[in-house]
Amino acid sequence: MIEVLLQTLLNGAASGGVYALVALGYTLVFSVLGVINFALGALFSLGGYLTYLLMGGSIGNNGGLPGWGLPIGLPFLPALLLAAGLTGLASLAVERLAFAPLRRRNAESLLYLITSLGAGLVLVNLLQMLMGAEGYSFPTAALAGLPDAVTIAGARIRSVQLLLLGVCGAAVIVLTLWLEKSRTGRALKAVAEDPTTAKLLGINSDAMLRLAFAISGALAGLGGGLIGVSISLPGPYVGVSYGLKGLAVLVLGGLGSVPGAIAGGLLMGLAEAMVPTEASGWRDALAFAILFIVLLIRPSGLLGQRVVDKV
Amino acid sequence: MIDNGLLVQMLLGALLGLSVYLPLAAGQLSLATPAFYAVGGTLAALLSTRWSVLGAADNGTFPWSAFGIEVVLGGLLAGAMALVVGSLVLRLQGIYLAIATIALVEIVRVAILNLPFTGGAIGIFGIPQPFASAAGYLIPALALLGLTGWICHRLELMPLGRAMAAIRDDELAARCMGINTTRVKLIAFVLSAMVAGSTGVLAAHFLNTWNARQGSFDTGITMLAFVILGGSRTWLGPVIGGLVLTAVPELLRPVGDARLVLFGLVILLGPLLFPEGLVSPALLERLGRIGAGDRSAPSAVGEQQP
Repeated sequence: MIEVLLQTLLNGAASGGVYALVALGYTLVFSVLGVINFALGALFSLGGYLTYLLMGGSIGNNGGLPGWGLPIGLPFLPALLLAAGLTGLASLAVERLAFAPLRRRNAESLLYLITSLGAGLVLVNLLQMLMGAEGYSFPTAALAGLPDAVTIAGARIRSVQLLLLGVCGAAVIVLTLWLEKSRTGRALKAVAEDPTTAKLLGINSDAMLRLAFAISGALAGLGGGLIGVSISLPGPYVGVSYGLKGLAVLVLGGLGSVPGAIAGGLLMGLAEAMVPTEASGWRDALAFAILFIVLLIRPSGLLGQRVVDKV
Repeated sequence: MIDNGLLVQMLLGALLGLSVYLPLAAGQLSLATPAFYAVGGTLAALLSTRWSVLGAADNGTFPWSAFGIEVVLGGLLAGAMALVVGSLVLRLQGIYLAIATIALVEIVRVAILNLPFTGGAIGIFGIPQPFASAAGYLIPALALLGLTGWICHRLELMPLGRAMAAIRDDELAARCMGINTTRVKLIAFVLSAMVAGSTGVLAAHFLNTWNARQGSFDTGITMLAFVILGGSRTWLGPVIGGLVLTAVPELLRPVGDARLVLFGLVILLGPLLFPEGLVSPALLERLGRIGAGDRSAPSAVGEQQP
């Protein structure tokens, strides 16, 4: 009994960790710009495919360059980190194309939803042109040296699950510490709190905004690589469903709240892991049902601040 | 290039654009249209195949009268759903409302995927045809678009429409002026759902098959793009946006795999190039002047737009 519980908890925490990464990606951009970046799901996919390619995976028969692969084959962790970095750069490009032109002319926030979705569509369909619509499993040598599963307190846990949990945990801790302790991290928080005052204090708010986009993209890319190695990449649209779950987590935790995004992600992962297998078809609706109920009871999210009405 | 089938799709796109436009005209960003569209389509698919109470013939045809009843029922069912959902979610503001409506779309999608009678992932196919060819669908699609457009046009002249515009400009001020904002927002939401539900009925018969993928969250944002690119200040905007943006992916078919990349570029660049939409207030004013036959205005050469 206790083994089953432990297994369920770990499964839940592992997928919850990925939800938290995506939600943190939304949070960073939302807290400095006040808009949601709908291209984040596409960046998630990009991270997954980049990790696959950097590990020496080759393109399938339906892709644009069948059989082609990078001449290198990195081990999983370096490939993952490099892919996350590259996804961060792609996120900067998204900012340049879809956000910067609107920001310059102070456009209404509705337009950002459209342009960011457009950028995401372009990215996902470019991936589809290059890689094809087929699914990819990571090379079996990906985790060479790691045992397939380890036994903890009588429960058999897939070691890839532990790896996923470890990377998510490390990313979350590093990000939180960086935001709290480092000069740049605090500058970013200052811009999120009050852009005008931050500017008066000599903080370059444009640079901080770009930094937020880069980190946000890197977090999504990390999530994509982790899901790729632990499950697989079912197609270029893989990031869309994770992006959507991340959106639910974002609101559940309270828009713009970092601890809220982490707690919300874990909560969502655990709740989904509790769904019995007979009802697994309904699992995807659970996140949104919870979100719906939370929004009705507490419109500002579980850990969000109350929105004060304009007077 | 543009055949009757594409024309029908374009008209359906215009209707969906209007469905997103209606709540937006009252300042409410709702992305719930795909949910109500899916509900209408599923109702039509069920009523004409598995629950054939309206009487479908065995040879795959479908009586016009039954089709008409379905269109009305689809609108009513979606409207009733919107009445319940709307009274709950319309308390939310801005992006919270948008995300709550995305949640609704996902819940409806998963429900259609998992309910025992909606055909699972494959969905329902072989939906009987009330018309012999795609051209037949032009009549009900045009009629529904005409009716919806007429209602939207009348709204702009009626107290209800003015109240919607007032809420869009400043909700608090509108409430202070004695406008029952909750009621006005709810009416706009219900109207939006009715349009989407009836459109779903048309689409289910037209497409001949219906499944859970018909109403997904990103289609909701594509529909929002119809409104934004067309112009969100008047009902003509979403109509133009829906017609054009539905045609673009089809007209791009010759470029093959790259067509969805190009469609993405259109969505990305549209708001950058036309921030006020294709049908902008300035354009309307100019059209209005031509329509009114205002000959006393100074000649176009010396004219300066403020």
